[in-house]
Amino acid sequence: MEMNDPLRREEKKESSPDRDKSGPSSPDTSRPGRDNLLKRMKKVDPKQSEKYKQRTGQ
Amino acid sequence: MKKRIFGIETEYGLLVKDNNDNDFRLDPMEIANKIKNHIFSKNLGVLDLHYRANDEPPGNGGFLLNGGRLYLDMGHLEYASPECSNLVDLITFDRAGDTLIQEAVEELGWADNVSFIKNNVDLETNATFGCHENYLVGRGFPFDERENLKLLSSFLTTRQIYCGAGRIGSCDPHPFRDWDGVSPQEVPDEQVDFQISQRADHIPNEFYRWVQYNRAIVNTRDEPLSDPSKYRRIHLLVGDSTMSEFATAMKMGTTTLILEIMQLGVAKKEWILADSVQSMRSISRDQEFKWNVTLASGAQSTALELQLDMLDTCKKHLAGTNAETDWILENWESVLTDLPKGPEAVLGRVDWASKYWMLSEFKNEENLDWHDPWLKSLDLEYHNLNKESGLFWGLEASGDGYRKTTDAAVDHAKFNPPRGTRAQGRGELIKLLINKHSHMSYLIDWIGFRLNKTDDPFLMLDPFITYKEDVIEHMKQFESGYSPASENAEDKPFRESHKKGHDE
Repeated sequence: MEMNDPLRREEKKESSPDRDKSGPSSPDTSRPGRDNLLKRMKKVDPKQSEKYKQRTGQ
Repeated sequence: MKKRIFGIETEYGLLVKDNNDNDFRLDPMEIANKIKNHIFSKNLGVLDLHYRANDEPPGNGGFLLNGGRLYLDMGHLEYASPECSNLVDLITFDRAGDTLIQEAVEELGWADNVSFIKNNVDLETNATFGCHENYLVGRGFPFDERENLKLLSSFLTTRQIYCGAGRIGSCDPHPFRDWDGVSPQEVPDEQVDFQISQRADHIPNEFYRWVQYNRAIVNTRDEPLSDPSKYRRIHLLVGDSTMSEFATAMKMGTTTLILEIMQLGVAKKEWILADSVQSMRSISRDQEFKWNVTLASGAQSTALELQLDMLDTCKKHLAGTNAETDWILENWESVLTDLPKGPEAVLGRVDWASKYWMLSEFKNEENLDWHDPWLKSLDLEYHNLNKESGLFWGLEASGDGYRKTTDAAVDHAKFNPPRGTRAQGRGELIKLLINKHSHMSYLIDWIGFRLNKTDDPFLMLDPFITYKEDVIEHMKQFESGYSPASENAEDKPFRESHKKGHDE
């Protein structure tokens, strides 16, 4: 990859450890970060979708 | 054409939260306007002084120091990236736009009340708004041949399996009007738990030139914003706004490779779908992720198989062209290989899969139904630009984000244009107008600018030329005490085509 700016670089963070496992039917409940994500999700206002009123754009 | 230029235009959604804060009474349009004005008040760009169109009065928007543009459009705050010559720049400048907006929200003290949502649908009203992609191609690109358009349509219809942002539910819009040459389908309403694309339900046509109604998989509008004798701008509106840097890079990268093999004449007619519009919707809504399609030949295939064959053709003809092409090919293959393993295998790389996995976890944890309002709210929150609360950022924080740029580069891109395109000259112009010539009037557009009424238009018709040195030279005449050594009124320099700033 040609990069114009020395500040820019490609960065691959830790890849998921279970690439070979399959399917949405068998989620890995021990996945690192899962609990933090669930905590983040629980903080979301359950009704905020009803307040999201957008105009049609392009 | 060997070199590339990309651009992305993003219309943002805006959520005003109810935090029992009775003092916060602004409506979304007021907020968008104040956010825009705040950004320009920080001298990060210059507001338009002139009408650009009936719905774009003076002050409606302006160009930024980074060469991009921020403006209000059809009820949305919109950011158009500057012209970028490579994917890393494109991702960086796309993120820079997000960051400028989120920082303005925080600086105004509105972070608890206002969220900018980088998505494409209102899940309650079914309003939709876009993320437009721009690819510069030569004027000789075979865009007027219907078979080529159908090939492009097949690619765009099937790329959603790794480019889609995903959404809960569906929208069953009825066709706005049956235009000549198009045949929008009546689709019976159907109950959908989750689908992989946000825009699929809003694309009733295969080809069309307009952008608000009767949107098409392939937008055929010819507005090059450059020398029309040399270039054409492929302007696509079918894609979703993507949060993942990897997904954005794949969306733009694979599309540019397909355009390149179309240019070479090696794209296969066998890829043409029997009905792209129907396939766009059926792929997106397939609850089992099998993604079956019917080809024009009548044969059955899948979106994954078609994409794998497109990848193989691109590898055969484009591998080794340059490092960026090889990165696209390698990662296109990796994501197609990993998709059948399930959403967890592509976390952080494919937005719909990341969202699907997160929402499934939460749904099971809380014993919710797919149509529970809480899940819809989480769907929105995935796209929140606020890193403290947005769900995508939680995924990135947990190590599942795949980054193609860095925070330092994004910070730099808020104030500086990308190198190697005319955005560099435009950025230089904005900087000089802010720092040295704040008294001047100006008229700026993508293709050039004019300063004061007596100044000749300065055309920037070639997006591959930076024009930086020419802009600096041009601006010297407005400095106090400037005395041109060899110019007179009859001998004004022709300001296009004799470019010293040419980077080639």
